[in-house]
Amino acid sequence: MKIEIRDLEFSYPAGIQALRGITLTIGSGEQVAIVGQNGAGKTTLVRHFNGLLQPTSGEIQIGGWDTRKYSVAKLASRIGYVFQNPDEQLFSRDVKTEVAFGPKNLGYPNEQVEILVHEALEMTELSDKTEMNPYDLSPTWRKMVAIASIISMDTPIVIFDEPTTGQDAANIARIANVIKVLRERGKTLITITHDIDFCAENFERVIAMSQGKILLDGKANEVLGQEDRLATTYVDPPQLTRLATRLELNDTIIREDMFLTELHKKLTRTL
Amino acid sequence: MQERLSFYKKRESAVHRLNPLSKLTLALGIVFVSFLSPYYWTPHLLILFAVIPLSLLGKVLREYINAMLRLILPTAGFLFIMQALFQPLEGVELFRFGFLHPTQESVLFAFANATRIVVMVSSFTIFLLTTHPNELMTDLTRRGLPGQFAYVIISTLQIIPQMQAKAQTIIAAQRSRGLDTESTFFKRAGSLIPLVGPLVFGSLVEVEERAIAIEARGFTSTRVKTSLNSIPDTNKDKLIRWSLIVIIIVTLASRIWLS
Repeated sequence: MKIEIRDLEFSYPAGIQALRGITLTIGSGEQVAIVGQNGAGKTTLVRHFNGLLQPTSGEIQIGGWDTRKYSVAKLASRIGYVFQNPDEQLFSRDVKTEVAFGPKNLGYPNEQVEILVHEALEMTELSDKTEMNPYDLSPTWRKMVAIASIISMDTPIVIFDEPTTGQDAANIARIANVIKVLRERGKTLITITHDIDFCAENFERVIAMSQGKILLDGKANEVLGQEDRLATTYVDPPQLTRLATRLELNDTIIREDMFLTELHKKLTRTL
Repeated sequence: MQERLSFYKKRESAVHRLNPLSKLTLALGIVFVSFLSPYYWTPHLLILFAVIPLSLLGKVLREYINAMLRLILPTAGFLFIMQALFQPLEGVELFRFGFLHPTQESVLFAFANATRIVVMVSSFTIFLLTTHPNELMTDLTRRGLPGQFAYVIISTLQIIPQMQAKAQTIIAAQRSRGLDTESTFFKRAGSLIPLVGPLVFGSLVEVEERAIAIEARGFTSTRVKTSLNSIPDTNKDKLIRWSLIVIIIVTLASRIWLS
């Protein structure tokens, strides 16, 4: 499902202008990472997608729905939003009930809720924890419950707000796997992240924001290669990219396999 | 977003510069005198010659009038009407409407009572407008108030705005999951658990973390603690406090012997 944003501006009631004219189209099935310093407007931007915030001026269309004309509860059928802190949404006695909450709200028939919950739990590797109280789980697993509770809503668009913050390597791998499976199912994925390696490894398109505007927007390797411009919004390119630049390898490298291929090429050339 | 639940307005004024304890004594003094004085017009005169000049001196007149119109006068007005109508005082009957028969005495009594309430709330409003809660607590702790007590007050002032912010995020998160918080009453009532649950769990966890954090900095240590901010306590302050105590005692004495 397509997201179209036109001339979006937003000011908080206190008068701070958080978004200063954003025009952006995210195509159906795209995987987009949004990076940028704190206060750049990333969260403010995505909170407009499901109507939590209403534009001061400009408009947003979600698959043809103008967000000003639909309630958040309605838009929830098109956009799933995983909040940063799982503790701000978990309330049920057990994992299964928690994960079923979203699809029930959306009014799916019971049999389908069962199937969706089952799938979401499988994808997040929670199948053996369905009867547990979310608050008895470790914070990393609580994060997976929060992710499962959104995936189970089976929305065409899913937003992740800093999914990897505070997570260990094993859980980051699990989250990356969830993203991969969702991509294969043709979902549109939008992730806000400060984890630039995670961004490089899992997303095709990267948008860098700075002071309420879009600074850079393009293919991951194009955006992540622009060290100087990224520095203005306090983003460092991935370590691998910087290493490749210093080694003067061809192309902007963002992934391990690319790095090894290019390094091999260069070595065989010089030797 | 509001950092702290407090009425405090940062200004540069003679009242702001007073020691917090002096301001507290002043506020209490005004309340005592208005309640204890044997003279009928004392509370009214206090508003004219103590409360309003103080709010001017402290440069908070506008905020004070605001609080007066929104909170103090409606409350006092309500109190006045209730007491005037229902206080069964013998005396000259003003009118009779059904079972209501207010007398001149009951109206006068109600008027004095309502004014006392106005004085009390006003003097504390001005106190809160000109005193930062941290300053007050630091000063009182230095004078021997138990730290636990100060902590309860200060943390409450901090926690409420934090909980408000947290509640906003929780509402946003649950609405994103299709929770209906805007339609019919019954749907909204049903949506209470998903909102209150995370708020309560989260707050309990926070309270514990806060307790650990302050204990890690020696909260229950019995040594004498120093404070980063020194709060001036001048001779003028002491003079003000002692005069107020004398005024309170004189009022109390006049109450006992004159009435």
